[in-house]
Amino acid sequence: MTISDETLMAYADGELDAAARAAVESAMREDPQIEARVAAHRTLRRKVLEAYSAELSEDVPERLLAAARGVESTRSKVVNLEDARAAMERRASRGRPLRPQWRTTGTIAASLIAGVGLGFFMWGHTESPLMRNAGGALVARGQLAQALSNQLAAEQSRDSPVQIGVSFRAKSGDYCRTFALSGAVSPSGLACRQGGEWQVQALTQEPGAAGDSGYRTAGSALSGTILKSVEGQIAGEPLDQAGERAARQRSWAAPDR
Amino acid sequence: MNTSETSQSIHEQIVTLLPRLRRFARNLTRNPHDADDVVQIAVERALTRLDQWRSGARLDSWMFKIVRNAWIDELRSRGRRGKIFLAAEAGENIGTDSMAREAELLSVQSAMARLPEDQREAVSLVLVEGLPYREAAEVLDVPIGTLTSRLARGREALQALLGTEGEAT
Repeated sequence: MTISDETLMAYADGELDAAARAAVESAMREDPQIEARVAAHRTLRRKVLEAYSAELSEDVPERLLAAARGVESTRSKVVNLEDARAAMERRASRGRPLRPQWRTTGTIAASLIAGVGLGFFMWGHTESPLMRNAGGALVARGQLAQALSNQLAAEQSRDSPVQIGVSFRAKSGDYCRTFALSGAVSPSGLACRQGGEWQVQALTQEPGAAGDSGYRTAGSALSGTILKSVEGQIAGEPLDQAGERAARQRSWAAPDR
Repeated sequence: MNTSETSQSIHEQIVTLLPRLRRFARNLTRNPHDADDVVQIAVERALTRLDQWRSGARLDSWMFKIVRNAWIDELRSRGRRGKIFLAAEAGENIGTDSMAREAELLSVQSAMARLPEDQREAVSLVLVEGLPYREAAEVLDVPIGTLTSRLARGREALQALLGTEGEAT
C-alpha cells in the first residue's frame, strides 16, 4: 500500500479524519519505512517548535504593549515634524505648554523628514538648528552644524548643547554622525555630510528624556529609530577617535568624491 | 455583555498574543526590528477594525493575517526587497557565539530563513504557531491544497538542510 508523503505529514500534524488515520496506522504497523517517515515528520515538527519556543518568553517591548492596550506610548516616538511644528505654533499663540502630537510610524525614519519647515525647535532660545536648503533637504545650521563639523565625541564637554554620538562612513561613502540636542524638546538624529552640508537623515524625539537632569551618554541617548537608521547605512565599523579626527581634518568630505 | 467589557478583554487577549505575533513577524520579515514595527502597525490596525473580527473566529489567525498584510504593505511602500535579504543574512549571525545546544536551534532558524517565502509562511503558521491547516490557509488566502503542498515542500527543504532525513526519534 502506498501512502503519499503529504498524507503522512497530515497524519503527523493531526489533520486526518478517523478513517484516514486508521489507514495510516495500519500501514505503519506493516511497513517500518512508513513508520520511519512519520517519525521523521514528528521529529522535524518537534525541532522546529523547540527552536522557536524561547522567543515566547522574551520581554515584549513597552510600545507594543501600549499599542495592544490602545494607550499612547510615551517613549521613543518618531516625530512627525509638521505636527510638532503646528503644536509649537499653537503653543506660541495660546501660551500653553507644549503638547506636540507625536505620531508613531515605526518605520523608516528618513521618510519622516518630509514637511519640515523653519523654526521647529525652541532650541537655546536662539535660532533653529535646522533649515531647508535650496534642494528642499533638511540641513543642520548654527550650533548644530558647528558641533557636527568640529566636535569630537571623545573630547566633547557634557555641557555642550549638542552631544555627538557615533560617527561612521555610510555605504554611500559619506560621513555620518548621530547627535542629541539639549532643551525641553531634546531630539536626537542622524546627519550625513553631503555637498558641504550636514543633511539630516533621521530625527526622533523622546519626551522628557534628557531634560534638566543632564545628559545620558550619547550612546544610550540614541533611540531605536536612529540606531536602525545607523544600522541601515553604516559601512563597516564606527569611526574611532583617530578616525573622527582624520575625517574632521578633511572637513568630512567623502574620499571618493 | 456590554461593549466596553468585550473590547477590554480583546485588548488583553491581544497582549497575550503579542509574543506569538512577534515570533510570526520575525519569521516573515527575518529582521527583529521590522518584526516589531510590523506587529505595532498590525495591532493598531486591528484595534480600528475590531468590527471585522467575526466573533467565533480565532483571534490569533485573524491577527496573523493582519500582521502578514501589514508586512506586504510595508514591502510595497519600501520597495526594498533587496535590502531584506541582506538583513536576513545579518540575522543569521545573531548568537553564533552561543553554546552548542543553541547551535541546533539556531540551525533550525537559519534553515527556516533560507526557505522561499511561501514555504516559510506555511511552516511558520503550522509547525511554529500550531494553526490547523484550514486556519493557516485562511491566513495566507490560499486553498488548503496549496497550503499543504507548500508545507510539504517546506518540510522537505528543512529536512534536507538539517540532515534529519530518516532520523528516528
